[in-house]
Amino acid sequence: MSSLNAIQSLLIKEFGLSEHQVEPATTLEELNIDSLATIEFMFLIEDTFKLKMPEEAVAIKTIGDIAREVDRLLDAQSQ
Amino acid sequence: MKRVVITGTGAICAIGADVSSFYQALLAARSGITMHAFDWGSTLVARVSADIDSPFPKMRRIAYDRVTQLALLATGQALAQSGLERLSTPLHASGIYWGTGMGGAQTLEQTYRDLYVEHAERVRPMTIVAAMNNAPAAHIAIELGIQGPSHTYSSACSSSAVAIGEAYRAIRFGLVPMAIVGGAEALLTEGVVKAWQSLHTLATPDPARPETSSRPFAADRSGFVLGEGAATLILEDHDAACARGATILAEIIGYANTTDARHIAQPDMTGQAAAMSQAIAAAGLEPAHIQHVNAHGTGTKVGDLVETRAIRAVFGPRAQALAISATKALHGHLMGATGALEMVALVETLRNRVVPPTAHLAHADIECDLDYVAEGSRAMPGLEVAMTNSFGFGGNNVSLIARRYPHR
Repeated sequence: MSSLNAIQSLLIKEFGLSEHQVEPATTLEELNIDSLATIEFMFLIEDTFKLKMPEEAVAIKTIGDIAREVDRLLDAQSQ
Repeated sequence: MKRVVITGTGAICAIGADVSSFYQALLAARSGITMHAFDWGSTLVARVSADIDSPFPKMRRIAYDRVTQLALLATGQALAQSGLERLSTPLHASGIYWGTGMGGAQTLEQTYRDLYVEHAERVRPMTIVAAMNNAPAAHIAIELGIQGPSHTYSSACSSSAVAIGEAYRAIRFGLVPMAIVGGAEALLTEGVVKAWQSLHTLATPDPARPETSSRPFAADRSGFVLGEGAATLILEDHDAACARGATILAEIIGYANTTDARHIAQPDMTGQAAAMSQAIAAAGLEPAHIQHVNAHGTGTKVGDLVETRAIRAVFGPRAQALAISATKALHGHLMGATGALEMVALVETLRNRVVPPTAHLAHADIECDLDYVAEGSRAMPGLEVAMTNSFGFGGNNVSLIARRYPHR
């Protein structure tokens, strides 16, 4: 998950979280990131990684899920 | 009919981040008006300089416009003073009555900037919920656990005065036992400031002493200065407040709201006088009982003259005996929040029996010929009853009357 560190840093910076809160297995729900805040965060990810998250629902529950999805999209872009 | 008392106040504005510093600044005639350099230009404003970000976790701030942060800060102060615990049973049954002119103006303007200037393809998902006018009331309700009625009034400069008055009525008629009331405004954006400039209602900056540019009732007045901030009051049924051992700060005894039905922006003496007369009658008083008025007194040529004439029409020869203060000279015109902020000033004035001055009134206007307390703050040892006026664009007029507690 090459994007994991960047995503963790983004969560720390933009949502004021601490390092120990943003483990790969942590769910957004556990961090009190509600549905609106999740969209906000997805927009931030798109801007940061210059990619477009799919419109359809992706099974994103944990920080690790986000990193895997970002990695997949970055791979697809580079091919 | 219930008696309605005030058991908590909170305020944040350009001259103070709490009620005590706000009132002390009023008495000392310390102005919060500055030429502020925004990234879009330098202009005369009364801006909140206190840190309003760090009290809120970043996670919550993403859903807040500046107006909501100001509202929450003022409300936190009022709640602390009232001795009520957030999410407690009395609050569940309470209502919220809030006022704002332009709600989340900064969010909306930033969104338009992103779209039309930066050519963003999409806008932030929080745009609607941060910008909507009822966002401050909604967030206060969430924070405090208020489950009763929620009202947001938007009638320009009288918004929060209407909110106080309607909450007063709701408690008086037994609809709610308690209400969180007030107003917030945060509209110091390029678009809003320039729109006001186009109306030619804003004060001309004094080049040597910009802080004195707002001069209500003075011959050299040239308009008002836009300000931002918030003020909150906790209103309660008198008997319930006594039963829980609350400290009562003042009692609200009269309210009236009238509409000019004449002009969208020109003030009207008849409508203003009707609001004052009806509020006095609603309080069961005669004009002679009113000792102090916190005037709407924005500092415009027309507005101050019309209010002076309206006061004369209501009080007759007794008008000369009123101590009239126009505190906007110091805290600026907070639009939707100004009625609540000036009600907080009125509460402190009644408690301390010291009337704030109308600052920057060095050159009297022969047509504005009442006692505006121009010389500086004035002790009034016998002060018992006072009135505050708020008149809004659209011809909306509100007068509220409060009495010192306990009443002699």
